[in-house]
Amino acid sequence: MANSRNLSIKGKIGTHLFLLIFSVFAIYPILRVVSISLRPGNRLLSRSLSLIPPNATWDSYIRLFTREPFLQWMGNSLFISLIVMFVGVALAATAGYAFSRYKFRGRNSSMLAIITTQMFPVTMLLLPLFIVLIALHLYDSYVGLIIAYSATALPFTIWQMKGYYDTIPYSLEEAAMIDGASPAYSFYKIILPLALPALVITALFAFMTAWSEYLVAAVLLQDTRLFTLPLGLKRFQANMEVAWGLYSAGAVLVSIPVVVLFMFLSRWLISGLTLGSVKG
Amino acid sequence: MKPEQKKVVLRGKTAVLLFFVSIFILGCGRSQSNTIMIWTTLRPIERELLQEKINIFARNYPMYRFQLLYYETEELRTNFIIASLAGKGPDIVQGPSDNIGPFSDLGVIRPLEDVFSSTFLDSFITEPFPANTWFHGHLYQIADRIGNQLTLVYNRDMIATAPATMNELIAVGQKIVKDTDGDGTPDIYALAWNYIEPYFAIPFIGGYGGWIVDDNFHPTLNSDAVIKAATFIYDLANKYKIIPRECDYETANALFLDGKVAMIINGPWSWATYIKAGVNIGLARIPKVDETGLWPTPMVSPKGYSVNINISKEKLKIVKHLIKFLTSDTLEEEFSKKFITIPSRKKALADSSLYEAPLFNAALSQVMVGRIMPVNSELRWIWDAMRPAYQGIFTGRYSPEKAAEEMQKLAEKLIRENR
Amino acid sequence: MTSTQSKNSPMLAYLYVGPALFIMAIVVLYPFLYNVILSFSNMNLTHFRDWHLIGLKNYLNVIEDTKFWYFLYKTILWTVLNLFFHVGIGVFLALLLNRDIRGKTFYRTLLILPWAVPQYITALTWRGMFNSQYGAVNLILEKFFHIQIAWLSTEWGAFTACLITNIWLGFPFMMIITLGGLQSIPGELYEAADIDGASSWQKFKNITAPLLKPVMVPAIILGVIWTFNNFNVVWLVSNGGEPSDTTHILVSWVYKAAFTYFRMGYAAAFSMVIFVLLLMFSWRFIKKTRVTENVYG
Repeated sequence: MANSRNLSIKGKIGTHLFLLIFSVFAIYPILRVVSISLRPGNRLLSRSLSLIPPNATWDSYIRLFTREPFLQWMGNSLFISLIVMFVGVALAATAGYAFSRYKFRGRNSSMLAIITTQMFPVTMLLLPLFIVLIALHLYDSYVGLIIAYSATALPFTIWQMKGYYDTIPYSLEEAAMIDGASPAYSFYKIILPLALPALVITALFAFMTAWSEYLVAAVLLQDTRLFTLPLGLKRFQANMEVAWGLYSAGAVLVSIPVVVLFMFLSRWLISGLTLGSVKG
Repeated sequence: MKPEQKKVVLRGKTAVLLFFVSIFILGCGRSQSNTIMIWTTLRPIERELLQEKINIFARNYPMYRFQLLYYETEELRTNFIIASLAGKGPDIVQGPSDNIGPFSDLGVIRPLEDVFSSTFLDSFITEPFPANTWFHGHLYQIADRIGNQLTLVYNRDMIATAPATMNELIAVGQKIVKDTDGDGTPDIYALAWNYIEPYFAIPFIGGYGGWIVDDNFHPTLNSDAVIKAATFIYDLANKYKIIPRECDYETANALFLDGKVAMIINGPWSWATYIKAGVNIGLARIPKVDETGLWPTPMVSPKGYSVNINISKEKLKIVKHLIKFLTSDTLEEEFSKKFITIPSRKKALADSSLYEAPLFNAALSQVMVGRIMPVNSELRWIWDAMRPAYQGIFTGRYSPEKAAEEMQKLAEKLIRENR
Repeated sequence: MTSTQSKNSPMLAYLYVGPALFIMAIVVLYPFLYNVILSFSNMNLTHFRDWHLIGLKNYLNVIEDTKFWYFLYKTILWTVLNLFFHVGIGVFLALLLNRDIRGKTFYRTLLILPWAVPQYITALTWRGMFNSQYGAVNLILEKFFHIQIAWLSTEWGAFTACLITNIWLGFPFMMIITLGGLQSIPGELYEAADIDGASSWQKFKNITAPLLKPVMVPAIILGVIWTFNNFNVVWLVSNGGEPSDTTHILVSWVYKAAFTYFRMGYAAAFSMVIFVLLLMFSWRFIKKTRVTENVYG
């Protein structure tokens, strides 16, 4: 719940001040990216500090839509990222719940095993992963990517969900079950809604994992019709000659769906945990 | 479990099952047997022309789909190796010749001497160096252009003619350098280039009469030539002050594009960008070293096509015709006229109409004094060995003599360890 | 607590956990085993197809290499500093955002941008900003403080540049996690503390911090692991380890060994060592914070 004590004027000013300072820190480099995208002629560096370059032009953006299949890339990325998001939420919400509420053999070791998947440097996993996915006929298809991305997003999201469930008192389920509800019912109808903030984070994280991933997609996808945004954007590079304008324009546009998604989901980042009744 | 619980669990299980099945059906990998895949490192502008040509060729083979994919050089190397080792990968790769070493050592490309006739192969140039790349007795790459040479590029609006010798460069340079806003650091420099990268210092090593390896591919970095070359570049920045003190690839490009520097040393991959940005460029040989009377020797290499070792017999036939098509005289001349590339076929190179373009003549003259780039896998390790100590000269960590010693030591160590 | 233990049917638990574990296993198990075997082999450029097992030789090479220890030290420093600022700034901002002020959505949206924009271009933008003559950082420093720092051409300057870039990239994530976690803390606790006359710091120490723990600890553990293995930022900002191959952390060095030198056996052993280090750390951390405990202990 929001800390709803009334802040003094001093408190309010202080809060706004710090938030502003960090916001400027956060946004300044991004404004520079925007200014590169508006700069004519593909230049990365310039001695001027000004953010709107002279002769600013929308050329790069126009080129992105008319001469490159930007929309197709965006569609592909959206498709994959949304699926990964749903898969991620479904699997993490349930797995996290199991880890939080149940006792079963292999519980502790599975929890540890899950995060060990993150400990190995990715670059060494690429070749064997590639071999596995080829053997499963998942090369150059979305299924392979979705599986790989889900596997990447799951460790954090499962732990995150479990951690959040741990803050919800078990007494709630007990009360429900005394009233005759089944375990599944108490999970879906009672606990899950209370875990909304964590679900939001899981959804966002899973989406981001798929949305901005490059390495695995570059190795797995060959058919240009399947290309995701990061792959498409990187094509603007030519060793030692980067189409910076196009690339920056692409980067700006790529960020927009994430921000939109975040704004959409963040309303559920505030939850109501009404604990009037049950105290442990 | 109570009945409704059973139903929930059952429904859940079927849902999950259906979900996975549908995704499998939806996204299963397509059959690749009728696609010919080409990976290239060509920059976007040239790539468009290449795509056009491939489309023309594709009309003869309606059952096949031809796809051209771009990869940045490093990535192309890494991804091709991964893909080919796993039994997949593109059918053809187009790129510089220094990939041949690693590719052939790892066994991911196919020897080609049994695929093409000797008459065809003989139609490729051998002067100033052989265009097609042989390595350990096998033919691995058919070239569609030669060059890749670092050249002096100058802005004709800032300097009318290029200096011919280093002393001229320094004299002219010092006149160009200006501090327009009086803050103590110059705003206009005479020359800028990616000099902190060893590859971009190579020409000077040759200019002082040395080279990085001997004929047996042993490193020869601890030599006078290397020391003198490094000292010279250092002096350009600190003694004569005609180049910026900290400069990398992007900075040099930005300065040149913004008209803040009169000259840059860069290769053919960059010229089109300068032209497109409206810079009135001229090309010239990197100025002669006065002390030795030698022209600096940038590395030159062919660029061309290699074939994946996993390729099927049927595709190999088509690929053979494709390569012949893409290296035909007319096609090479077209590329040359548009992008100042230097053809790899004798007949194309002899075409007098090419020589009407001053930029082409200048580019060719630079290639003539260049030195061929080795294709051995060890070359990359030599760069790695040079880089730390070489960059240490500019950060003041090493003297040029000490740096040369360190480079040699590290090069020998890397070759010893990694072989 | 009442004990409705009859609901403790592992079947349901396995059903819940099974699919997730299955997916992760496909993706990680074979590659992991592959690397384990590789690490005991002599696979390199000359022994690529015809490699054979050579026992622990690679591991000895790794441990005997002074570079390993130096980069280990740097990597640990990198990780600790990053996490400190990520968590510090993230928690700080989340607390501010949780207050009753106007314009929260505005701030939240701005503050999440570093996470939303593709890392590739922002890392390179930062690299450009640290250019000592043309970069925004020095231009601003010069204007207001009259100093110029040679960021990318000195070892620790480059390290700091990478650090600042990664802090910028990473604090939004911790901020969001904290924000989520703060939602689970009931307001009544704070009200009760107010009645008792507790100060802000006491409230933070006794209410906020402990109740944030279950949510923050997973983020911190994974944050440590990810930062330790964060290849991209260091590579991009320092342009592959410059100056002089000193700006490396362990993973970027592994990448070099594998794909520049093709010393696959050595690189695999190196990766295994990284893995074991992280495993030991996580194990101890988990035990200490008891974060795998649940309702049943």
